Amino acid sequence: MTDSLFRSLIKDPPQCPIVVNGVEHQVPVQLSVAAALLYLGHLATRQHPVSGEPRAPFCHMGVCFECLVSIDGQHKQRACLRQITPYMCIETLMAGLN
Amino acid sequence: MNKIYDYLVIGAGPAGMSAAIEASKAGLCVLVLDQAASAGGQIYRNLGQAGSKQAKVLGPDYVSGKPLLARFMAAKCDYQPLVQVWHIEAHEKGFVVAVLVSGESITYVTSHLLLANGAMERPIAIAGWDKPGVMTAGAGQILLKSSALLPKQVVLAGSGPLLLLLAQQYRAAGVTITALLDTTPKSNYWYAIPWLVAGLTTPTQLFKGLWLTLVQRIKIPYISGVSHIEVIGKEHASGVRYTVSGKVYDIACNLIMLHQGLIPQTQMAQLLGCPQVWNDFKQCWQTQVGAAGQTPIDGLQVAGDAGAIGGAYLAQLEGRIAGLARVNSAAELRSRRNKLVNLWLRFRIKQLHWARGLIDRLYQPAAWLSEPSGDTVVCRCEQVSAEAITAIANTGCAGVNQLKSFTRAGMGACQGRQCGLNLGYLVAHAQQRPMSEVEPLTVRPPLSPICLGQLARRSEL
Ligand SMILES: Cc1cc2nc3c(=O)[nH]c(=O)nc-3n(C[C@H](O)[C@H](O)[C@H](O)COP(=O)(O)OP(=O)(O)OC[C@H]3O[C@@H](n4cnc5c(N)ncnc54)[C@H](O)[C@@H]3O)c2cc1C
Ligand code: FES
Repeated sequence: MTDSLFRSLIKDPPQCPIVVNGVEHQVPVQLSVAAALLYLGHLATRQHPVSGEPRAPFCHMGVCFECLVSIDGQHKQRACLRQITPYMCIETLMAGLN
Repeated sequence: MNKIYDYLVIGAGPAGMSAAIEASKAGLCVLVLDQAASAGGQIYRNLGQAGSKQAKVLGPDYVSGKPLLARFMAAKCDYQPLVQVWHIEAHEKGFVVAVLVSGESITYVTSHLLLANGAMERPIAIAGWDKPGVMTAGAGQILLKSSALLPKQVVLAGSGPLLLLLAQQYRAAGVTITALLDTTPKSNYWYAIPWLVAGLTTPTQLFKGLWLTLVQRIKIPYISGVSHIEVIGKEHASGVRYTVSGKVYDIACNLIMLHQGLIPQTQMAQLLGCPQVWNDFKQCWQTQVGAAGQTPIDGLQVAGDAGAIGGAYLAQLEGRIAGLARVNSAAELRSRRNKLVNLWLRFRIKQLHWARGLIDRLYQPAAWLSEPSGDTVVCRCEQVSAEAITAIANTGCAGVNQLKSFTRAGMGACQGRQCGLNLGYLVAHAQQRPMSEVEPLTVRPPLSPICLGQLARRSEL
């Protein structure tokens, strides 16, 4: 994780707790799961199963399948098509912790 | 036994909403399915929930969808957000549509089906497009519409109205745009001149477009005549390399948004057996659609950008005419008023598609974009490079579908949505055949991956 490349347009947006890779964070309520990961500074969200290279959400509209993460125990979910909910558990698919 | 709907509409964008409004007004039992959290489609994504700050930044065209959205929300039809259609097939009663809702599979049966699932961005296989830090301009705009998220700093690269619109919206929100690299070939401007006549039939649009183009050129670092864009960086994007008039330049940046126009999402229609035609002007495959959205498959219609890219207003009109056609076929309700409305709609749709020719010609993608080479990844899912594909294409393989079994390109989770077009270009170049002869990738179920558990829980048809 590094400094986020994104910020919220809204000043002091209402927050929602989510759990990413076992760590609890507060993020703006309005985010999709993919947006939440970007907001928290996850540059990459999975490793490519063939090449091992890091990959990140690309289209944010459900057509590229680059944003696959596990959500509340369900594997390979498209993070861009899901909205965050309180205490949602998100696991990125990076071998080392991201 | 499932309830049988009279009209099932996939997509709650301008096209789907308009069709559902017409059909439910006539008393048909209508169901609208959409994978987004709220109705509106791409243009009006999240419009019902967006705050005033978002609305201000997104501009007047965004807010202008409010009356349509309100009419849709008031219409007497069932509407299911957050559902992903993963399979459609013909059924004795019409069609059966299988969707995933919160991880569970449910099926719906309908006598008539309208595909209004819209467009996607043209995939752009340039070196490094698979690195984190690269996304599409549409993705950037979706983050702004639905999540109110903005980049701190960004490079925009490519061509087309959506890229300029995003630049305008980012500027309004105070985002630092390091540069806008415009890849529109200079020759496009000359070729587009005759199309000005068509554009002049929609003067407001033309004026708005000109204004949008001019303002960005003045207000942000705007570099035109750009070609051969590459994303540089090791694991993550750290810059962009590009060429202008034969000279190569680098810009440092860690976020790049790409755009090269839109192409219709044809997978659902293909799955149901609709023939595809290559549109050389728009450089994409399209489903053959009649004046009121009809397809060669009985009971199946396609409307809006899912058929041919035309933008929001055209999608709205196409949705309306498709909805009316469905109503007319149901009730033989051929009143004089309906006939007149129908005639007017047909005329407007024809005229607007013609006027759209100006945008299509002006923003036709540059030739270099269809010639990825070397180790540039073309199929992101299976990590297949351009040279691997060209090598097989050179052996004389019959087309993209054979190429798929040799290289695995197009076999991944995205079902070739991100590589299909470029596989076609590579085969066409290698074998010196026109694109129209290189068939598109065949679509097989499921439309999106589904796990065995979900399949097992699938209710009986
Ligand atoms: C990313 C993006 C951003 C755009 N932004 C603008 C803009 O700001 N201004 C503008 O004028 N034009 C924009 N456009 C162009 C846009 O295509 C048209 O303006 C207009 O929205 C087309 O209307 P439509 O009803 O045909 O399809 P859309 O508005 O695209 O609606 C299609 C709907 O189908 C749903 N859908 C798709 N696949 C599935 C599935 N498998 N299961 C369930 N639901 C599904 C989608 O969620 C979507 O809501 C954008 C296009 C894209 C791709
Ligand atoms: S980012 Fe492309 S499918 Fe989610």
